[in-house]
Amino acid sequence: MGDILEVIRTRKSIRRYKPDPIPDEILDKVLEAARWAATGENSQPWRFIVIKNPKTKNKIGQLAKMGSGSRMTAWYCLGEMQRRFEEIQDPVKRAEVLRFMYSGEVSEFAKQAPVVIAVIGTLMEGSVDVPYDLSACIENILLEAHSLGLGACWVHGPVASTRDAAKFKKILKIPTGMGEYKVIAYVALGWPAEARRHPRPKKPLEDLVYWEEFGRKERS
Amino acid sequence: MDRVKYFNDMLVRLEELLYHELSGCAAYKVELVGIDFIQSKRIGGNTAEEVVSNCIKEITAAGLVKIMTYSIGGKGILLNLKMKDCIHLPKEARLKKERINPYLCPIANMILDQLIEKLKYETTYLAKLDINEGKRECKIICAIYETPDKIGVVSDWSKEEEPE
Repeated sequence: MGDILEVIRTRKSIRRYKPDPIPDEILDKVLEAARWAATGENSQPWRFIVIKNPKTKNKIGQLAKMGSGSRMTAWYCLGEMQRRFEEIQDPVKRAEVLRFMYSGEVSEFAKQAPVVIAVIGTLMEGSVDVPYDLSACIENILLEAHSLGLGACWVHGPVASTRDAAKFKKILKIPTGMGEYKVIAYVALGWPAEARRHPRPKKPLEDLVYWEEFGRKERS
Repeated sequence: MDRVKYFNDMLVRLEELLYHELSGCAAYKVELVGIDFIQSKRIGGNTAEEVVSNCIKEITAAGLVKIMTYSIGGKGILLNLKMKDCIHLPKEARLKKERINPYLCPIANMILDQLIEKLKYETTYLAKLDINEGKRECKIICAIYETPDKIGVVSDWSKEEEPE
């Protein structure tokens, strides 16, 4: 067995991609990794829709832009976005970052990704863990993609609201009944066109780990 | 039997567990809760003002809220709602005591739904829900986007006048 900690630690969300296609054998490995994710009672509720059609990706990107933009415009108008980005000292840069966010452009990148994988789960086979299974599956996709040199980003926002999830289902012809399939997210995938040199800061372990009971910091 | 209390108590339990399960995302999931009532009415109107006013007439006539006012500002994307004596206020107050910020307003959902259904608004978003139990009031801030190009039309909503 190989230690995969370095793969885990160096993975980043990539939102800019080269236009180069992803060969089928590479794409199949990513999907194979998804298939082997942890799943309660081995129920494997996941289904994947692999999207390469530019028109479909444009629709998804536009839906994402509307979803994020509608929320972030309101957050900006309420002053909440400004507080979130107040650590950016340069006012011109801060204004540009904020505009990028509230315009929704931050979430538009599915349009440029060579491949978008919609991750959905059946609610009709009795699984009791669908959202958790699908989340584990997406993490496998991200890690396998990164290990193969691909860039990927897990995108939940555009399917977060009930109405947007229904729109997303209609784009992909997924049955829209609330008891049929859950759309949890999609993953945008491609060869990275950005080199994010610095992973975003992570909280130190000592702030996150308790020993034996909640709140106890002394290692057992 | 107090039927309103009975239903509010059930809603509290459901909202608690939905919040526990989804955290902040719970608010995004509940936009359809409440819309069946307003969809059973024949709400007309050619403008946002007309649709909102006609919704308020039905809501107050049914006794869901005693007094309700609104204003539209923020370059057309801000809908401020002010309610007094809403039948759901005890539900919001109980959630607040449980340290969960109220996030589901069936009344606001009704109005946002009709803007989408009747005027084909692109999308809407319930951005803030404040309650004042002492005054028996709720103040709700919604974003309403008539067309895609309204996304990103920003202004300072703290400078907007509140409804009377």
